[in-house]
Amino acid sequence: MANQTNTSATYADDLPLAAEDERKIDVIGHAGLLLIACAIGLVANWVGTGTSPLTALPGMATLYVACIVGLALARFVPFYLPGVAWVSLIAILITIPGVPGAAWVSEKVEHLNFLALATPALAYGGLALTASEFAIARCSGWKIVIVAICVMIGTYMGSVVVADLFLRLGQ
Amino acid sequence: MTGKTGAASGALYLHLIVLAIVIVSELIGIQRLPIGIGTVIFLPILYAFALGILFNPAIFKASAKFLSRDAVKLSGAMITVAIMPFIAKFGTTVGPQISKIIEAGPALVLQELGNLGTILIAFPVAVFLLRMGREAVGATYSIDREPNLALIADKYGLNSPEGAGAMGVYATGTLIGTFVFAIMPPIVHGLGVFDVRALAMSCGVGSGSMLAACTGGLVAAVPDQKDIILALAAASNILTYATGLYVGMFVALPLTEWLYNKARPSERRAQA
Repeated sequence: MANQTNTSATYADDLPLAAEDERKIDVIGHAGLLLIACAIGLVANWVGTGTSPLTALPGMATLYVACIVGLALARFVPFYLPGVAWVSLIAILITIPGVPGAAWVSEKVEHLNFLALATPALAYGGLALTASEFAIARCSGWKIVIVAICVMIGTYMGSVVVADLFLRLGQ
Repeated sequence: MTGKTGAASGALYLHLIVLAIVIVSELIGIQRLPIGIGTVIFLPILYAFALGILFNPAIFKASAKFLSRDAVKLSGAMITVAIMPFIAKFGTTVGPQISKIIEAGPALVLQELGNLGTILIAFPVAVFLLRMGREAVGATYSIDREPNLALIADKYGLNSPEGAGAMGVYATGTLIGTFVFAIMPPIVHGLGVFDVRALAMSCGVGSGSMLAACTGGLVAAVPDQKDIILALAAASNILTYATGLYVGMFVALPLTEWLYNKARPSERRAQA
């Protein structure tokens, strides 16, 4: 444990610390990459649920537009909110009952399985891990693995207990 | 990102490998393994991640022939891009359920503070049981995803004990977080103690893959509640994106620092 500080710090360079870099994202470049991601997402949905890509296409196209608009907002709005937050807000807005077209959007995206859409990201994630990340996990040792599991359980169960309490109080 | 012609073919291979992994993972589909206290649920995202690691050039030397360093870098950029349609789809589940979300509003907002539960559980384990030093501060103050890691980098530098702790939990979470978050919620649900809405709204911890795993597991366990599970999880995840950094900055990190100083009064920062 004693020498882990020095070893892990040398790997820090290529960790994804770019939370604020979203201010500078290139929306046009992302539009192309997003197209690839959506195409693979359609295949995942096809294999996973049997829904043909043609049936799912209008829904996916809608999600695509929501993503692009969200990224553009993250880029140009003068205060910081992550792109994913903007994308979520737009997606919520266009499905609230009463908003023009909301029923159409809800019906179209129903053809897309949410879990299938996450599969491509995890495949990229596995391939994107660098030797540094494996090295950090290795040299941090077993203590960090135990602590990390406790962190995940604690974060989740803390929320569950508080949420459950207030749901009961609200009834 | 594709400056040279070699980089372009590396990128092509990357997307093709991902396509193949996705097809295989979706073909295997959701698998259930009943154990005594509940059901362990295996999701396609788990296989996809595992297969990704298997073909990662850092693990499987032969794939370095196809995947250049640039391709691996592109893969990192593609994670944030590829998770976008998922996040958008997730958002569309909220709109139709908006009145139920508002009904659960107070619980939804306050459960964000429940994320401090990591300090309650992980901090004593790290400090008293495992006798860790100041690594414990960085490791246990939050779930250590990107914004939290950035906060630690900003405050202590990654070249510090706190930074090492945070990076250790970050790297471990990246490797096993999907697995833990797919397994845990169905088992907790199996205890029969907690409202499924509480289990759902706790899935938003600020990581797309953990969110996917958590809701995927819950929906597989309680399929008839799918709509409300997705909507609450999506809403809580947005709240975490919006508030996580600030809760970390103004509550969790000062609290962890304070606890550490209480636990080890004799220790000075000179330790590093």
